Amino acid sequence: MPSATAIRVQIESTLAQRVPAALTLKIKQAPEVFASGMAEVDAMLGGGIPRGTITEVSGPSSTGKTSFALCTLASITQLGNACAWVDVSDALSPETAAASGVELRRLLWLRMSAERRTKLTDKPWSRLEQALKATDLLLQTGGFAAVVLDMSDVLPQHTQRIPLGTWYRFRLAAEHARTALVFLTQSPCASSCATLSVRCEPAAVVPFSSQGETPLFEQQQYQFARERNRNEGSPFQQRKPVQRASWSAETLWSRVR
Amino acid sequence: MYAVLHPSNFFAQAAARQRPDLRKRPFVVLDGEPPTEMVFAANHAARSQGVEIGMTRLQAETFPEVVALRRVIEHEHTAHATVHQVACMFSPRIESVEERPGTYALDIRGMDLLYGDVAELANKLRRSVMTAGFLANIAVAENFHAAISLACGRTGVSIVPSGCEAHAIGQLPVTALHLAPEHEATFAAWGIRTCAELAALAETDLIARLGQAGKKLHSLACGTWPHLMFPIEPSFEAGLVERMELDFPVEELERLLFLLSRMTTELLERVRGKARAIAALRVVLRLDGGAQHERTVRPALPLQDTATLLKLLQLDLETHPPSAGIVGLELHAQSAAPYRAQHGLFLPQAPEPGQLEVMLARMRKLLGEQRVGSPELTDDHRPNAFRMVPFEPPPPRRNERQSLSTPLALRVSRPPHMVGVSLANHAPVRVFWDGAAYVVRDAAGPVRVSGQWWSEANWCREEWDVRLENGTVERLCRIAFDPRSRCWYLQGTYD
Repeated sequence: MPSATAIRVQIESTLAQRVPAALTLKIKQAPEVFASGMAEVDAMLGGGIPRGTITEVSGPSSTGKTSFALCTLASITQLGNACAWVDVSDALSPETAAASGVELRRLLWLRMSAERRTKLTDKPWSRLEQALKATDLLLQTGGFAAVVLDMSDVLPQHTQRIPLGTWYRFRLAAEHARTALVFLTQSPCASSCATLSVRCEPAAVVPFSSQGETPLFEQQQYQFARERNRNEGSPFQQRKPVQRASWSAETLWSRVR
Repeated sequence: MYAVLHPSNFFAQAAARQRPDLRKRPFVVLDGEPPTEMVFAANHAARSQGVEIGMTRLQAETFPEVVALRRVIEHEHTAHATVHQVACMFSPRIESVEERPGTYALDIRGMDLLYGDVAELANKLRRSVMTAGFLANIAVAENFHAAISLACGRTGVSIVPSGCEAHAIGQLPVTALHLAPEHEATFAAWGIRTCAELAALAETDLIARLGQAGKKLHSLACGTWPHLMFPIEPSFEAGLVERMELDFPVEELERLLFLLSRMTTELLERVRGKARAIAALRVVLRLDGGAQHERTVRPALPLQDTATLLKLLQLDLETHPPSAGIVGLELHAQSAAPYRAQHGLFLPQAPEPGQLEVMLARMRKLLGEQRVGSPELTDDHRPNAFRMVPFEPPPPRRNERQSLSTPLALRVSRPPHMVGVSLANHAPVRVFWDGAAYVVRDAAGPVRVSGQWWSEANWCREEWDVRLENGTVERLCRIAFDPRSRCWYLQGTYD
């Protein structure tokens, strides 16, 4: 009586023309990820933000989106990679970026502006349109390990009007360029194009410290919840990944103490 | 082995080249300011009638058949360039003989594969020079100075077998050695007429009488004086220019791009021939009305790609368009060694330099000059002081990350928004911003910051960190009070 292995080989060789390796489990390659450097968040994200896909970090203002993105860029630039920050509202603080550990020389900062001088030959691009065009150019050029499209100050009704085709195009371009494309938005807009979706929620309020004569703002608590992660391993894995992570960020002056 | 090309009476030949009808007639070339002009050069026919170099104009005019020409320096330059070009066709290593105008020495080692043996080469060289309009003597010898002396002293083609230099130049007069006037007088007094007679003198006795010059002259007469060749290296950079005149003014850049493309390709071909690349392109547009529009495109790395260079030119000209129609254009290139990098398999990826340059140019066109680049912190007390520098990422290299706590990011409002603030006990309690009223839950401050108090650009403000709440929305902001304008501003939001 032939063994099970022999039967399997026989079936597979018979079906090889139509279904390659029909009875062999497909081993999914672990995605390449960039760690953010924050242990709790990395554990929740399964190692960090995935490369070659879209990661969406959404939430209202003051929920830690920018701090997280800068921390991630710091790790990526310190690996020797070039990154880009597409700044729709021109709101990036280079001081904070440097304090987070971002190597500023490896960071291409694209500042959208409304008051750009107008030329008759050009169409008047709004900030968002400029940002989308700039992101498209960055992805086409390639070579950037991460591109952050910062739409934190854009109202959800504006971001949701961006056609879905744009996100599909970005997803393909990011995959081709092996770029980790990170969106910072107030509400999710990329829908199924985002491989990883993180929702930022308000966390426990840490009151301002009042040890001295005057109160001092020292730290803020944040909470991230994972909404989608397509890069998760087998659904039959034993340990269920954590869905939420809390982390805290400190002000620059609290480091001095 | 050297071949020396000597057009005898070069200046007269250069003048006759412009007036071929004068070739058979006696003529002189006059130089100097009128009326003190002197005969600078004269052809053989004129000299046979008795004209001498250095005669005044009046003296020259006493010969009725002699035609007087004015010296034109430009014609001489053209003649020089022509002879130079002919010489360049026969050897890559040529040297101009300073003391004999129009004379070139060619290093012809290894040229036999292209031009046949030495005699064939010499004949071909002479024919080429004659085709270019010059009558020249050619001499080929192992010794550089012997070849020059022969070319100057003997008409036609002279070929000296190796080791026979002394014998070959023996019959030449000593003046063929380009003597100093005092030495010429001395040899005349001694009765030394030919090189062979000079070579026959004892070297030590000659040195005892004439000093070190005696040794040189003796060696020259023997055909053994060594020479270190300094080949002419034409200035490659100066030649990297393309010019074009247009028949009528062109306004559209697209039409100009066809011409620019052709010119860039032409320049790139020349640059590639030297295994170099283009480091900068300067385009000078001559505009209708006499004005000039000049732009320089300087890629971060030298490029060898026409498409990229052309795209950079196009984007730059579209960003800075000329003010009027274009009637002429010049393209100047600057070459540099091409960029070569050893990429590693395990190094992080980086943008490809050529594509990056084009992308940055596109971004500058899209967003503006000052809105693309890398931020660089400046040495200033003002919070968030920075300047933009061009994005030039350093080579990929891993850095060890310092384990610091996660800092809280501030999103800066540029320019600061004006907000309304109501105070209680000198501390903000309510903030009105964007048509919404926020209650201040927590406030930390005031932090008084100021700077530049010594100049007119002085600034000062009182900053507060506030936690604002409006129903469900909570915001952490930095607001500031400017005592000069008595207004409150939103500096930024913590996120």
